[in-house]
Amino acid sequence: MNAYATYALKRLLQFALVVFIGINLAYLITHATPIDPVEQTVSAATAFGNTSPEAIAMMRKSLREIYGLEGNLWNQYAIFWQRVLVGDFGPSLSAFPTPVSTLIGRALPWTVGLLSVSTILAFALGNLLGGLAGYFADSRLLKIAGLAVMAVHPIPYYIVAFVVLIAFGYVWPVLPISGGYRINITWGWNADFILSVVSHAILPVTSLVLVGIGGWFMGMRSLVSNVVTEDYVTYAELAGVSRGKILGAYVMRNALVPQVTGLAMSLGSIFNGAIITEQVFGYPGIGTLLISAVHAGDYSLVVGIASVSIVAVSTAVLFIDLVYPLLDPRVKVS
Amino acid sequence: MHAMRCLALAALLWILACPSWAQEPISNLPRNQTLIVENPEGTIKNAGWFNIWAVNAGGQSTGLHQLAMDTFWYIDPQRGIDGVWMNSLASDKPIYNADFTEMTVKLRNGIFWSDGVEFTADDVVFTTELHMKTNGMRWSAPFQVNVASVSAPDKYTVVFKLKKPNSRFHALFTVRWNAVWMMPKHVFEKIADPLKFDFNKPVSLGAYVLHSYDPNGKWFIWQAREDWQRTTLGRYGAPGPKYVVYMDPGPPDKRVIAQLNHELDIIHDTSAEGMFTLAKQSKTSRGWFKGFPYAHPDPTLPAVIFNLQNDLFKHKRVRWALALLIDIKAVSMASYRGAATISAIAIPPTGTHTESYHAPLEAWLTDFELDTGKRKIRPYNPHIGKEIADMLRPSMGDQIPTSAEDIAKSFGRGWWNADPQAATELLQAASFTKRGNEWLTPDGKPFTVRIVVEGDLRPVMTRAGSMIAQQWRQFGIDAKTDVAQGTLVDRRAGGDFDTIISWSVETWGGHPDLSFFLDSWHSEFVSPPGKTQTPRNWQRWSSPALDKIIEQIRTVGFDDPKSLELGREFVKLAVQEMPIIPLMAYNVFTVMDETYWKGYPSAESDPYTDPVPNWGNSRVMMVKLKPTK
Repeated sequence: MNAYATYALKRLLQFALVVFIGINLAYLITHATPIDPVEQTVSAATAFGNTSPEAIAMMRKSLREIYGLEGNLWNQYAIFWQRVLVGDFGPSLSAFPTPVSTLIGRALPWTVGLLSVSTILAFALGNLLGGLAGYFADSRLLKIAGLAVMAVHPIPYYIVAFVVLIAFGYVWPVLPISGGYRINITWGWNADFILSVVSHAILPVTSLVLVGIGGWFMGMRSLVSNVVTEDYVTYAELAGVSRGKILGAYVMRNALVPQVTGLAMSLGSIFNGAIITEQVFGYPGIGTLLISAVHAGDYSLVVGIASVSIVAVSTAVLFIDLVYPLLDPRVKVS
Repeated sequence: MHAMRCLALAALLWILACPSWAQEPISNLPRNQTLIVENPEGTIKNAGWFNIWAVNAGGQSTGLHQLAMDTFWYIDPQRGIDGVWMNSLASDKPIYNADFTEMTVKLRNGIFWSDGVEFTADDVVFTTELHMKTNGMRWSAPFQVNVASVSAPDKYTVVFKLKKPNSRFHALFTVRWNAVWMMPKHVFEKIADPLKFDFNKPVSLGAYVLHSYDPNGKWFIWQAREDWQRTTLGRYGAPGPKYVVYMDPGPPDKRVIAQLNHELDIIHDTSAEGMFTLAKQSKTSRGWFKGFPYAHPDPTLPAVIFNLQNDLFKHKRVRWALALLIDIKAVSMASYRGAATISAIAIPPTGTHTESYHAPLEAWLTDFELDTGKRKIRPYNPHIGKEIADMLRPSMGDQIPTSAEDIAKSFGRGWWNADPQAATELLQAASFTKRGNEWLTPDGKPFTVRIVVEGDLRPVMTRAGSMIAQQWRQFGIDAKTDVAQGTLVDRRAGGDFDTIISWSVETWGGHPDLSFFLDSWHSEFVSPPGKTQTPRNWQRWSSPALDKIIEQIRTVGFDDPKSLELGREFVKLAVQEMPIIPLMAYNVFTVMDETYWKGYPSAESDPYTDPVPNWGNSRVMMVKLKPTK
């Protein structure tokens, strides 16, 4: 077996171990929560209605049976892994009997769509501006842009989100402030629906990009500032290579390698959801689902969402580990 | 750089070109025929689930139980559209036999499901029997506990034979927020497992049918039935709104923005600050009261609930001492910014209760004497409601009512005078001692009280708890709030608290009978310490005197005047024993926008129902609302 295959096999085993430990931790932590899903259901069912104590005691017993919460934790744990191995996280306890996978499947595309677009936009804009600012260090325009980006970067996300919301939803109400699309619109690949989805995504994407761009900008500017002092850049300049080519082919390309690593990690973590974004903008997605599941003590759903996230982040790391030696010859496989 | 500028310019032009997106939140529905209502359940995880009989599986106040469900009777928490009691699917009140072991219901004829099938006694029998033989449905347990058999002697008569006497069995079918909703036999009889059937698209018994819904659970649209005359609301006229949208508008700030933009006709509830903003900035927004305090007092009573299984609170003098350390005016300001409706007795000051309980008991409260161990005091101050109004008048001006009756309606009547000297005497009489500025329990330990509050999930109650903790601390008690957040339900049921800001009193609002909550306060239902308590006696109060009252109420009819007398006896006992410290009504800042619709219920002109739109009772608003354009 050659060195790369050995390396890949080790990484795969690490991946499997991380996923196994991560899902187990999610299972243990959620089952240690003091929130009992049966009590939440009983409370929801009796919060307003007239129900006798005898009837409630009976309801409690029935719900434990239906939710599969009878028996000891080991039995429940064994059943849990039997299901997980075939991709089934069981029924949601707060939307019983709908399977957890159905709820996640419905919410995930919205989160992935929103966060992948905003992550890629922030990455592209941040690196482009950062690269230019690092290379054209004397440009006043780029200095101002740098100041603006760095001024926004430390502001807590929820404040930026609220400012954007109030600015474009109330002071100058030109964009929708809630939901993923207009009420009563017909779903499908038609212009109305697509435009509606795009218009509803503008404010959440803008807020995420405004806050996300700063990190990429500063990283890239710093990397470029170092790269421009390298001998091969000086040599290219002395040889009369155009500044555009030097910037694109020699400077930014080299500086981009660690940034791509960061991008892969960011893309992996989009499966965690954007809880604050979804709450502030009422955007459908996995973050809202997770919050609702935590409040309801719905540990099946929490474990399901956590597992998707664990697998996604681990896969992103695995992907980077496997691809890096192939892309960058400086990374040696021993 | 050129590309960047072009990109920015294009984005700006695109935004400028599309301002209408923000102005038209709904596609393909005429706005002037559409009522937009907040659903406080938020986003529904399982939007395509309309089987309301499967417990906690999908949404309820998505319009489903307000517009598509029906049952025998409704009791309105306010005055009602033609009286508090409404015969809905039943044509008359429940008919009991002498010993309350049998209840007969006469059904209204000419009522049809939305698919054209007539509603009959067979639907009632089916609903009952299905619940009796299926565990885990929403109302399985109360049917199984109560019903021996059910029969339909004819198409419009149902007879329930009960396992034991129950003079309040009809309450199961009487809407106070919700009740047992009738099932369409012709749909569910074909279903093998009713717990796994989504009932999508729902067959409706109400005046509306489902038009469409968001698979992501943000909105649900209901459309008026063409045959609305064949529903129980038909006798009150045609529904005003042709379409009703129930939606999740997001957090309180966004609800306010949405109503300022006229994109949300009814806000279910917002913060006091949100209400004040709307009152100031929107000429078309109004609350239950046109002016301050705006909010509707729901028939629910937030209180300081003691854990009476905690030895510290077993002595009623300790409980009274803690009550007399509360300055209710400060609590009103802290919690509701003054917009609270206070109550000294364990009855919410709302609906018809003020006439049944608060006004008649005023003289008794004024004369009520409390023995502090050193002297007798009269702790009740009948003027505190007025004092709150006077305190607010300089800042709120003409919005504050001036007549005694209006002040009582808006801010409540009296409460207990804050009296630290009397509290000192009461604690000393209970063998508590003071060392320096610190109070000690009879066994010499610091007197520590933890007040469990819900946190930002219920900010009004949390602020009340913080103010009370501060007042107790100033007196030398080691009092702190303990934020429970999502664990409140479990901690309250498990008795994991010293005191908790919550409610154990909920009433009909429009009817003086107290069995709705009081029956569950019987000592037979009190769990041992550490075990889960069934609702609603969270204070775990066991009292032979209380048991006697409850047992007497069980033997008299729902409308029997004796029931009201017994209710007043309960109130007096609760004042003497102070198992909970009643604070105020649960005031809900429901805000209604009159841009597109008029005819909302209001305290001054037409209090025909509680405006809070997640109540099943709110269906009557649909026949009272008329378009403005």
